[in-house]
Amino acid sequence: MAVNLFLSLIPEALIASMLSPEEFGAYYAVGTEKKSRGQAIFFELDPKFRSKDFRIEEGIKRCVPHEDGTPKRSIYISVYRVLENVPVNAIKKMYLTTQDGRTLPIEPAGKVPADGEGLHLYREISPVSPLVASTLGPQDFYELIVKNPSSLVKLPAVCFAELRLGNLATDPQHGEVGDLPYGNMEHLRNCLTDLSTKQVHTKMVDRMPSSGIPFRTVKNGFFVGSQEKLIYFPLPQEEELVKDHYRWWRSATM
Amino acid sequence: MTQTWLIFGILSGFVSVGVALFIYFWVMRQDAGSERAQEVARWIREGAASYLKRLYTALTLVAVVLGFVIGIVFSFDLTQLGSGSVDISPTNGLIMAGAFIFGALCSAIAGYLGMAVAVQANVRSAVAVSDTLNKGFRVAFYAGAVMGLAMVGLAVVGMCVIFILTGNPEVVLGFSFGASTLALLAKAGGGIYTKTADIAADLVGKIEVGIPEDDPRNPAVVADNVGDNVGDVAGMGADIFDSYVASTVAAMLLGAAMTGGDSLKYTVFPLILCTLGIYASLIGIQFVRVGKNGKPGAALNFGTIFTCVAFTGMVVGLVLIGGYDLSVLWSTLIGLTAGVVIGNTTEFFTSEEFKPVQETAKVSNSGAAITIITGFSYGLLSIFPSIIGIVIATLVSYYISEASGVITGIYGIGISAVGMLAVSGMIVSADAYGPIVDNARGIAEMAGMEHEVIKRADVLDSAGNTAKAITKGFSISAAALTVLALFAAYAEVIEARGLTLEISLRNPLVTAGVLLGAMTPPIFSALTMLSVTHNAFDMIEEIRRQFREDPGILAGTSLPDYTRCVSMAAQGALSSLVLPAFLAVGLPLLVGFLLGPEALGGFLGGAIFTGVIFALLMANAGGLWDNAKKFIETGQYGGVGSNAHKASVVGDTVGDPFKDTAGPSLNTLITVMSLVSSLFAPVIAAFHLF
Repeated sequence: MAVNLFLSLIPEALIASMLSPEEFGAYYAVGTEKKSRGQAIFFELDPKFRSKDFRIEEGIKRCVPHEDGTPKRSIYISVYRVLENVPVNAIKKMYLTTQDGRTLPIEPAGKVPADGEGLHLYREISPVSPLVASTLGPQDFYELIVKNPSSLVKLPAVCFAELRLGNLATDPQHGEVGDLPYGNMEHLRNCLTDLSTKQVHTKMVDRMPSSGIPFRTVKNGFFVGSQEKLIYFPLPQEEELVKDHYRWWRSATM
Repeated sequence: MTQTWLIFGILSGFVSVGVALFIYFWVMRQDAGSERAQEVARWIREGAASYLKRLYTALTLVAVVLGFVIGIVFSFDLTQLGSGSVDISPTNGLIMAGAFIFGALCSAIAGYLGMAVAVQANVRSAVAVSDTLNKGFRVAFYAGAVMGLAMVGLAVVGMCVIFILTGNPEVVLGFSFGASTLALLAKAGGGIYTKTADIAADLVGKIEVGIPEDDPRNPAVVADNVGDNVGDVAGMGADIFDSYVASTVAAMLLGAAMTGGDSLKYTVFPLILCTLGIYASLIGIQFVRVGKNGKPGAALNFGTIFTCVAFTGMVVGLVLIGGYDLSVLWSTLIGLTAGVVIGNTTEFFTSEEFKPVQETAKVSNSGAAITIITGFSYGLLSIFPSIIGIVIATLVSYYISEASGVITGIYGIGISAVGMLAVSGMIVSADAYGPIVDNARGIAEMAGMEHEVIKRADVLDSAGNTAKAITKGFSISAAALTVLALFAAYAEVIEARGLTLEISLRNPLVTAGVLLGAMTPPIFSALTMLSVTHNAFDMIEEIRRQFREDPGILAGTSLPDYTRCVSMAAQGALSSLVLPAFLAVGLPLLVGFLLGPEALGGFLGGAIFTGVIFALLMANAGGLWDNAKKFIETGQYGGVGSNAHKASVVGDTVGDPFKDTAGPSLNTLITVMSLVSSLFAPVIAAFHLF
């Protein structure tokens, strides 16, 4: 049985596994005994990827089938500062798993989407996970926190998703909330209003939002960037999700 | 002439049942879809069959025991009770017991037919809707019509046959009591079943495990779908059958109590109204079509309006040609109009298009407590239009009838109740459509049909929810008028035994009776809702056990044990019925024999008033919370997953047993209590402690 390498983001970990990505997602979300539940977001890495920062060979050697022939589900190779030490070129596909174990694969796109009109809301996923409002588009936001920080704060690498702001993106004070499920809406409005009126590019909305991301709030997709470059994983449009990934979409939107 | 009308009634009843059977076979000829869809439908069908088997076994036992008691009691010449020497006539006892069992049997057959077609039509509607919305609608609505037409047909046949054979409306009262006893147990049992399964499936499936609605991995999903049928098809059908028969027999008793040469003519008049109602429904059903705009709700409303118009035309013709006093025409029409208006005011309080639901959704942003307070308050307010409608119908029909000098005012009230219920064939058809499309949506989901199909099934389902809400308002209001007429019938039966019935609050026995009666509907509601929580608690443990012991269920590699949850729901529902059944049948008798006929009169009055108010409150508040949640799910106030949504889910869960268990059972409760009081009134008149 082949051994796959997965870079998990919730929590950040490098894992060797004999499971396929879909099986790994289901296992990771609900556990072997199906007694736990929780989203999973992870990348499938190039199986040839090796790094002096991780004891990958040792992990792979320990990743052998169980005595009854069933595949080894997970060998944790590292659980600390993983994202920053994995070159983005080693990342192949991204997988989003719902709380009940349905997994959606996403291919990387050629280029990052152009910055649209209005304000932005970013949910950082790894290595830290705040909710941040910003005047910057995804490319500029990445550059601000990874490549050319204007403050003391700098991340070696980052994975984040842009979340929908709906009418609030252009009219933070009076825009209709519609189907935006964010808590403490008044605070979010204040943060967005501050961005419109003050000379700042980012504003922390929530230092520690609840674990997991409502996938239906993702505006366009996920971004992962290091010092090398930024890669974009677009989430398929709702029509495509409904048509081709109905079970995942149902679980993701409940 | 009356004999001709009665024979015409029997033939019309058979026509109605015949058309129902014809439609049944038409439904069965529709495409049942893929193997997977049929398998899912088979689970539901088998679950429903197993529940019905248990229910009817228990009901047979109840019917035999009660039939035996009735047979013994009515073997004595009740006019001589208390006089020292009493003639015994086993034939009288047998006739009354037979009428009772016949009533229960007719109600059971109507419920069974409705269920039989519903569990076949669900999958066929799901398959048909994959073609077009209209086809799916047609299959579901016509399947609902099987229930509606069978119900009114059997009721009219039963009442006419008994009246032709005996000429005594008090024997028809026995028929009505049989139908009502079965209705109470079917409605309350179905209500407990459906909400046990629904709540357990949601609490574990959605909240704990995080799987969507109607997901085949949920061990309670089949029980949930079976519950839609046993609660809303068999239960609601039996409920309206009971009100339909009870209102007719109450008016017949009041007609028979009138003096003068036209007494027989007006005794049979309610049966003629029912007969005309059959034809009006048959015509109205033909006009239920989803047009190019694709709005099933509008199609159902159009059918109801058309039925009412056709019925009005027939009654006008009957009254003018048949030489009836015009006051019966006005009484019929005021009842019919009040029924339609009350049904539609229910929509105001439960539809997403109006302020009550929208405001409840809006305040959900502030948490579940305020969702509950707002929904409950609007539920209380929703009582207002219905009560005003009942008051207007009661007063107008009473005074118009009194002014005529031909019929009594109280007979006019009885006729307005019959007028309201005469078009039940159409009303039940629209109501039974609801659970069928609800099931169709579930089957489409479980069978993995395309999203477009599920979206269309959602459109059908939404119209079904509104139809169900309207029917609940309609049936509660109809029951209110019916029991007012039955109350008067009770007084007539007592006074016919030479007693004077003075129901005054200055009499402490009456006050005691009023308080005991007023207490009964809340206690009944509590018992049925506690049954739901107890049974749901047990089922939650079972669902957790299945997930725990077989990881393959959640992984989708093995099937859950659906039958275990189905069996638990059925067992739990039926065993929970003992105390509620005692309240309905035993308590009025206990009050009557211990405290006397006047106290029992007060008891009925108290039960009617709180029963109607609680029924309206619970049905409407429950519907409002349900739709507030659905409104948020359309993308309002944050949509799914928002704080508002979480609060609305709490409101919906609280409202579930309100609207589907306790609320709709209360009208049957007060009908059964009124019937048992009227039936045993001669015995109570002779034997009472105070």
